[in-house]
Amino acid sequence: MKKVLAIAAGSVLAACGGGDSTEVSGDPFCQAVLPRVAAYMEQARSQHPTPSDPRYGGTVVIGSIGEVADGLNSAISADHSSTQHQQFVGLMTLVNYDAQLNAQPYLAESWEISEDGRAITFHIRQDVYWHDGERTDANDVAFTYEVVTDPLTAFPNAAFWDHYVKEPEGVEVIDDFTVRISLEPHSEFLDPFRTLGILPEHLLRDVPHDQLAQHPFGEQCPVGNGPFVFVEHRSQDRWVFEANPAFPAALGGRPFVDRYVYRIIPEQTTLLTELLTENIDVYLAPRPDQAQQILDDPNLELLAYTFRNYVFVGWNSRKPQLSDARVRRAITMATNREEIVQAILLGYGTVANSGVPPFHWAYDDENVPTLAYDPTAARALLDEAGWRDRDGDGVRESADGTRLSFSIKYNTGNQQRQDVAEIMQAQLAQVGIEARPQVVEWATLLQQINTPTLRDFDGVVMGWVTEFKLNDMDLFHSARIDQPYAWVGTHNPEIDRLLEQLSVTVDREEAKEVWREYQAAIVEEQPYTYFYFPDRLDGVNRRVRGAVMDARGEWLNIKDWYIDPASR
Amino acid sequence: MADTMAASTTARARARGGRRLSAFLPGAPQLAAGRWGAGGLALLVWLGCLWVLVARLARVVEALGGSWDERLALATLVAALATVWGWSWWDAGRAEGPRRVGVSQWDLAVRAFSKNRTAVAGLMVIVVLYLIALLTPLLAPHDPALQGDLISERYVGLSGAHPLGTDQFARDVLSRLLYGARISLLIGFVSVGISVTIGTLLGAIAGFMGGILDGIIMRVVDMVISFPQLVLLITIIALFEPSIFLIVAVLGLTLWPGTARIVRGEVLTLREREFVQAATALGYSKRRIILRHLIPNALAPVIVAATLGIGNTIVLEAGLSFLGLGVQPPTPSWGTMVADGRNVLLNAWWLSTFPGLAIVFTVLSFNLVGDGLRDALDPRLRS
Amino acid sequence: MTKYLLRRLLGAVPLVLGIATIVFFAVNLAPGDPTLYFLSPGMTQEVVEQTRINFGLDQPVHVRYARWLGAMLTGDFGYSFSHSRPVLDVLADFLPNTLLLSACALGVAFFFGILVGTYQAVRQYSLSDSAFSVVLLFFYSMPSFWLALMLILTLSLFARNVWEWPIWFPASGMTSTEYDFLSFGGQVRDRIAHLVLPTLSLALVLTAGIARYMRGSMLEVIRQDYVRTARAKGLSERVVVFKHALRNALLPIITLVGLYIPVLFGGTVFIETIFAWPGMGRTIVEAINTRDYPLVMAGSFFFASMVVAANLIADVLYAVVDPRIRYE
Repeated sequence: MKKVLAIAAGSVLAACGGGDSTEVSGDPFCQAVLPRVAAYMEQARSQHPTPSDPRYGGTVVIGSIGEVADGLNSAISADHSSTQHQQFVGLMTLVNYDAQLNAQPYLAESWEISEDGRAITFHIRQDVYWHDGERTDANDVAFTYEVVTDPLTAFPNAAFWDHYVKEPEGVEVIDDFTVRISLEPHSEFLDPFRTLGILPEHLLRDVPHDQLAQHPFGEQCPVGNGPFVFVEHRSQDRWVFEANPAFPAALGGRPFVDRYVYRIIPEQTTLLTELLTENIDVYLAPRPDQAQQILDDPNLELLAYTFRNYVFVGWNSRKPQLSDARVRRAITMATNREEIVQAILLGYGTVANSGVPPFHWAYDDENVPTLAYDPTAARALLDEAGWRDRDGDGVRESADGTRLSFSIKYNTGNQQRQDVAEIMQAQLAQVGIEARPQVVEWATLLQQINTPTLRDFDGVVMGWVTEFKLNDMDLFHSARIDQPYAWVGTHNPEIDRLLEQLSVTVDREEAKEVWREYQAAIVEEQPYTYFYFPDRLDGVNRRVRGAVMDARGEWLNIKDWYIDPASR
Repeated sequence: MADTMAASTTARARARGGRRLSAFLPGAPQLAAGRWGAGGLALLVWLGCLWVLVARLARVVEALGGSWDERLALATLVAALATVWGWSWWDAGRAEGPRRVGVSQWDLAVRAFSKNRTAVAGLMVIVVLYLIALLTPLLAPHDPALQGDLISERYVGLSGAHPLGTDQFARDVLSRLLYGARISLLIGFVSVGISVTIGTLLGAIAGFMGGILDGIIMRVVDMVISFPQLVLLITIIALFEPSIFLIVAVLGLTLWPGTARIVRGEVLTLREREFVQAATALGYSKRRIILRHLIPNALAPVIVAATLGIGNTIVLEAGLSFLGLGVQPPTPSWGTMVADGRNVLLNAWWLSTFPGLAIVFTVLSFNLVGDGLRDALDPRLRS
Repeated sequence: MTKYLLRRLLGAVPLVLGIATIVFFAVNLAPGDPTLYFLSPGMTQEVVEQTRINFGLDQPVHVRYARWLGAMLTGDFGYSFSHSRPVLDVLADFLPNTLLLSACALGVAFFFGILVGTYQAVRQYSLSDSAFSVVLLFFYSMPSFWLALMLILTLSLFARNVWEWPIWFPASGMTSTEYDFLSFGGQVRDRIAHLVLPTLSLALVLTAGIARYMRGSMLEVIRQDYVRTARAKGLSERVVVFKHALRNALLPIITLVGLYIPVLFGGTVFIETIFAWPGMGRTIVEAINTRDYPLVMAGSFFFASMVVAANLIADVLYAVVDPRIRYE
């Protein structure tokens, strides 16, 4: 008995010692750069002492299901969490959007666009320093631009740079704090600079562009110039940042909170429990069913706002059952999307008719005809398209005997998409369509829909997150029909024309007209059955004050958040 | 002489009385005689089936012309009623004449098992469970895949129309629980069946043949056993599309090594016994010796392992559903119901709790029976 | 003895290699392409191909296998594309956490299992014997993730918010966010507090098996002659049980350790997900989903090796401890 105890105790103690994930990466790059950061921060703290305002201090903890997958390496990230951290936490972007979605200066103090619209010149602030002490200047901007426009880097959002002149002619450093970028005139040309975090040239210039993805800078020792300084990252566990005392006073100075911790918790019930037991301050994206619990707790508040992601079912128009736009429109009419928003999202969402979010200036729901829920009209349309139930089995067939039966694929691990597929199955059965939900593992599903020669699907439940610069070119333009994202195989000259026009129209008023036509054309073509724009939900502990979250993001003004001094 | 005559007269009278009682209420005479296990089960099944017949008369009538599923349920109902009645009649009548107490291994084991109350309780639960699973088309109040009104009927708690509430698609939880029983029990039974068959065969061959064959089979056994089972399952199922067929196949193929080892051990001991040596001397083919002589005698620990295995498989299936790799919607299984309901534990607790309890009690019963079997079959453990 | 040890060690090598090979082919031959995770609109086919080359996925399967085998023999386990780090670094991060959890769970399970099993054997067929069996089996029959969630809800949420108990446990993580600022004593307490719920979820399930085994072993020993002799000598029951019977009954338990380790590693997947424990089980499952081949293979390889090692140690320990067993 004693022996067993001794062995047990011994092994536990031994393992206890090794219980930490490595806090400082063994990588030579990190080992060289992190001490410099620590030294500079020491110096900065003594040069910029914390003001005596009681709002300063405390730690804010955000909990979420997913890892910050690509860290702070803006050259290789497409993940929402990562881009948010790059924009608002660790790095700085050239511009920010205000609540009206107009560009405001951030890292760039000012900018001019040339008369012919072919060049934009940015003037960089001179009081921004990297966290290791080097000053941020135009070379960093030029470097970042070169990296992201180089195909070797494999920048995931390469569509951003469609109308920009690629390196090396595309960017020119005029002096230490002025940089000029060449482009072709097009709309929303500032949007990419809202999301692109500028990278430190002095640290990364020697890294071959095709090896940036593996560089430890992203996830192990990012060095930024933003309001928060990276402290540590324990893989799959947490990221820790602390306030940057040297952040320019003109932009607000150091953040109020001393530390910001991002915790990764993969289980939603656990996340809710942690929020309710006040172990985390913010719970990102709770399920709509959990919203009531948050509303009921007096210590918590629920933030809900429309966001720019939407859920849809894409139809493979190459399949005989789905090649006729009338069939696709009938499917949409047979689906009670309003009810689905009520049922699945508990009302936290808006029905979508195209990829334009409701808060966007291009959104028009008055002048654009939409397909309301109308099963009778759906049946009539199906009859008209030649699909009738000829053998009385409840499922329609075409004249040559093809049954109106197809599968709707969705990926494992996403309850919402599964719900959509199942509800569609039940509702489509009412109009004589047989839809079979089919779950496919994520990587396999991507391969099935992305491979141009494969396109192995009938219907697929998916979601997109759009930027403020809306661009459906990759999705619906016939010239891109063999690129990965042209899942549905749309080949519509009217849509092609409108897409091309939209990408070059600079004036918003002019563009609004074209957007209206485009939205109407989409409704007519129905390449997707658009479902809804789910509201973003966030559970926030009331001790965190000043948090503003909207379509621009959750971390939008994290540097202005403060903890109520009484509850620290 | 007079005593035995008197005794046998009383016995005969008792038997007749018992038979009369048994005509209405099978199981009652056994209960009265103190055999609560057999008697209780018989009575329970009798009353239960009668209730189904009466309360679901409409459904029963429909089932006469329904799908094979419904007709099977009907047949089961009739068979259960007949079996219970017939057995009770025969057993009550057996009170005539002196009882012979058997002393074979089998009889000893049965008696030891019957003394174990928890094991007997477990057995009763299992029998009732399988019966319910077969009778589900007649029992379930609603269609398990039928979605109600999504606005008003979602997440309804325990109520009259839905005794166990509704889920996120306004489907009746009780019906899904009943249909889920079939899937879960089916998966348990078939995969263990597969693994036991393969394992017994390979283990017997390895044990009896020895040599290189033994070496190869045992290497493979070691390999599969060393592998963390769950990781292997996940690897295979995640890489191909999950379906009941795949799950059963993969479960069966990963569980056989345990049985193989057990059987090989048994065969190694049995090999030296006289009856095997005699069989070899008589010139029986190896195949015959393995199939007819070795395997039947090695079965005892296999039965125990199989019973425990069914329980384990049901729990494993729940685990797979947690990872999204279990049975796919809209087919209900207990595992998927528990896994799907875990996100709403705080506001719709009934979604996970009832299937969870169902799993626990079912697996518990299998485990109690397995334990009881082990205690009963192993002479060293009896006092 | 040494001969046996050498033979087993030599035998273990092809075993582990065999496992690794199976895993390699299972993962690599499955549908699904890891580069797809890095896709985004606008990426042309050239970029996709470039990414694929960047990760070394353009070679045919047997070439990849040979390369991997060769690299592994020199200790190079490759690069994890989902973590952007060498695989060994990833393992070094996560493996100790899983080991800590497993060791604690095994420790607790064995402790209580042995205790309860002995008690049950001494009081065979009593009410408490049956009661213990049922209660332990009750926990054994529960899906571990459900048990974990129940524990979180009761001992974390309800304990704090509803019943207002003085002690409640954190629902997730290995350490709290303020860990670095705690005193040494505070840190130890913090770690233990975070270990309680996950360990309990794992241990409760295992205790039943161990108790059962112990009960059987103890029952066997109690009937031996030497125990009867001890009793006849007039020694107190307690001395008989603890001093004589228990020691001998414990021997077969050692082999259980080897048996339970693969079970434990498999079971940690759910616990690690629910308790946000940064461990190996969770990592491997995610690696499978992202088709991160190098990580899956290395992880499985390590798991299997540890299991083989544990079995070997258990067998050797058993031989050392029991003089009747001598392997040729």
